[in-house]
Amino acid sequence: MDEVRQYESAAAARAVVACWSCRGPIGPSALFCATCRAVQPPGALDHFARLGFPPAFAVDEAEIDRHYFAAQRLLHPDRFATRTARERAISQSQAVSLNEAYETLKDPLMRANYLLKLKGIDVNPDGCNTIRDPTLLMEQMEQREALQAAETAEDVARLARGAKDQLEACLKRVAAAFVADDLAVAESETTRLKYLVKLVEEARLRRAKLIRVND
Amino acid sequence: MAYSEKLIDHFEHPRNVGALDKNDPSVGTGLVGAPACGDVMKLQIHVGPDGVIKDAKFKTFGCGSAIASSSLVTEWVKGKSLDEAASIRNTQIAQHLALPPVKIHCSVLAEDAIKAAVADYRSKQNQEKSAAE
Repeated sequence: MDEVRQYESAAAARAVVACWSCRGPIGPSALFCATCRAVQPPGALDHFARLGFPPAFAVDEAEIDRHYFAAQRLLHPDRFATRTARERAISQSQAVSLNEAYETLKDPLMRANYLLKLKGIDVNPDGCNTIRDPTLLMEQMEQREALQAAETAEDVARLARGAKDQLEACLKRVAAAFVADDLAVAESETTRLKYLVKLVEEARLRRAKLIRVND
Repeated sequence: MAYSEKLIDHFEHPRNVGALDKNDPSVGTGLVGAPACGDVMKLQIHVGPDGVIKDAKFKTFGCGSAIASSSLVTEWVKGKSLDEAASIRNTQIAQHLALPPVKIHCSVLAEDAIKAAVADYRSKQNQEKSAAE
């Protein structure tokens, strides 16, 4: 029992850091010191923890917005106009860290990639890996060919709808895989998600091009 | 940053775009993808009875550097043996086209595509052989 208590108090001690200004205790994700109100530098937190979420794929996007905009209001440069240069710099680095966390969590593809990375799977080491999954690649090659061959805005719109439906279904599989903690499926479905995001984007561009030509 | 003339030439006038019959036992097909960019590349070779590559075709959905890299590889492998084709290195492709560092992975994709095509042809030949025995 003593060991457990010792471990817990050690973990609590690690989580609490000292305020740079008054040396008072602050939590790892605190923006301000509760004692002296000084703004605190961004701690070494993952993007989920920074916005107050557990590391899970399913997130309430409205909640992400709420946390993020509340924090950014508190860090607005106007609030630091009369503060010291050091506090202005610290508030800026907090704002940058929050932006990064927000951009990563709001986008499902980035969120999935990031969560895999937290779990020790780097889907894209050095931005240079190649895949040979014949089912996925064949399916994507055929759809990109169909898109290229489509001559009318209606055909492209139909293909775009199909792509969006596949993307929605894929998102559900990614979410289910993370819930089941099946990382192999989470990884392969995240790769498929990347291709489907690309397909939807290509369909959008192709449609815009056809509409421009016909105008 | 400017792209090299060779790269732009291959991008604007890609060589050997198209497809070969993937069910033909003398055709090897390599299908590879770069998930970072959502690129997909198909490279096919037609191999003669003497083991020399007679023809090569490609189809790439990706950026200009990926298209140029696969176009260049189809030119290079014609008239080469399978071993010679499989020994093409991405660094040779990147150097020839003067790819910028952020586009090196496109040459990696092309190297993997020709290797996959050679491997596919060889596994087909082995199957033919074991079917004949």
